[in-house]
Amino acid sequence: MSNRILLVEDDEVMPKIMERILHKEEYKIEHVTNGKEAFQRLEDTNYDYDLIITDIMMPYASGFEILSKVKTRKDGKPIPVIIVSNAGNEEMILEGFKLGADDFLKKPVIPGELLIRVKRLLMQYGAR
Amino acid sequence: MEYSLYDFRGASLNIQIAIVFIVIAVTFTIIAYLSILRGRYKAYRREKKLASLHPVIDNLLMEHILLNDELASDVPADQVVLPIDVFRLPVFEHRWARQALIDRLLDYRNNVRGAMGEQLRNLYIQLELDKDSIRKMKSRKWDKKVQALVELSSMNMSIADVTILPLTNSSNRELRAAARHAYIKLSKNEPFKFFDVVTEPLLMWDQVELFKIISTTEHIAIPNFAQWITYSTNKSIVSFCLKLVVHYNQISALPAVLKLLDTKDHYLRADAINCLGKLKMESAEEKLLQMYDSQPLNCRLEILKAIGRINSGKHVDFLRQEFLHATDFDVRKNAAKSIIRNQWAAKGIVEELVETATAENKLILKHSMNPLIKF
Repeated sequence: MSNRILLVEDDEVMPKIMERILHKEEYKIEHVTNGKEAFQRLEDTNYDYDLIITDIMMPYASGFEILSKVKTRKDGKPIPVIIVSNAGNEEMILEGFKLGADDFLKKPVIPGELLIRVKRLLMQYGAR
Repeated sequence: MEYSLYDFRGASLNIQIAIVFIVIAVTFTIIAYLSILRGRYKAYRREKKLASLHPVIDNLLMEHILLNDELASDVPADQVVLPIDVFRLPVFEHRWARQALIDRLLDYRNNVRGAMGEQLRNLYIQLELDKDSIRKMKSRKWDKKVQALVELSSMNMSIADVTILPLTNSSNRELRAAARHAYIKLSKNEPFKFFDVVTEPLLMWDQVELFKIISTTEHIAIPNFAQWITYSTNKSIVSFCLKLVVHYNQISALPAVLKLLDTKDHYLRADAINCLGKLKMESAEEKLLQMYDSQPLNCRLEILKAIGRINSGKHVDFLRQEFLHATDFDVRKNAAKSIIRNQWAAKGIVEELVETATAENKLILKHSMNPLIKF
């Protein structure tokens, strides 16, 4: 069974790049364009994702809010979260890790690096 | 018509003037509506054309550049021969399509770096899209120049100092900002040389953009920003340099920052206090406390924030006093935030305040304790 990844990203080009890169490994990518849609999708699927990749600055709800909600969930399997953002200042990175992010990648990303980090996290969390 | 003209001639001067104004107004309104409609129609056509072209460009870039395993070799990016023939489609003979390709390449380059990012630059050069950008650079229109500067700097193409430096002081704000960004990004030896010649203020948005470029440009030569903090007459340059001192943790600039605490300009003084706080300069804490009572509100708020950031735990009582007795809401809010930041030394105080504070102060404390809320 292929791993399900939720991609939360409001940029037009980045999802296309990620989908192509991650599709190579047969991951199933589902893309939403803002925080509100992300919450909705997570609720609808009962958090049935193996990994979440999120931007920080997005309409309606930020990546930090998504991260916080996913990481403070009491029951259900733990879901790793990778933040991929343009905002790469120290405070943002530290805040991300404080809230429980598993990884932080600054845009522009190196495609190979992204793929390795995704693979590593999925292995670490023992996804399907 | 003859009857109307006869009527017009026979009418009083006031009526004649009113009729002339009505005719002019109606004519201009019609022209304005027609030009808006024309603009919208052109935009609609452009969007439609781009909507069909973008997937073509995306597929070409994905298949032949980003996912092309043959390109992932150890050969330096500029020596790799790209499959550029596949990009030589008839549509790219049109200028608008070439522009769309350039714009898409920039979008991709903003999202991927490393070898793939270099291949995108390589493609830009091999398709001779740089010539399009250089042609725009020579245009007399400022917006074309801005476009060219953005393209050339994003693609890391060199531009001669003599071409770009005069533009950093252009009277056109947009052009000036684009030239400064490009100069910092492309000038390898003295990327901050234009700080010496800038006479116009750096607007906040300019600063945000410049900061992004400075902090993301690799192999940039970083000077000691104390020289501009001490000598620049342009206040916005001084303020911007203080932010750069923080970003680069430039401890060698500290004497200049401390000296700035004596400036008469309270905005700059607030920036200097902010800088000391972010650098966590514990040695400056006593001086900040001494000057607190004589400062205007913005400086006092910065001092409270600085004590929180320095986090020495030595001045919790002072923060408590301000939180309990200040009349200004912002003072109480920042004092609360700094108490929470110093929580390791103020555990008992926080508990006491939560138990004994008024309803409003309790709300402020709760607000300050929420790690998701930033201010």
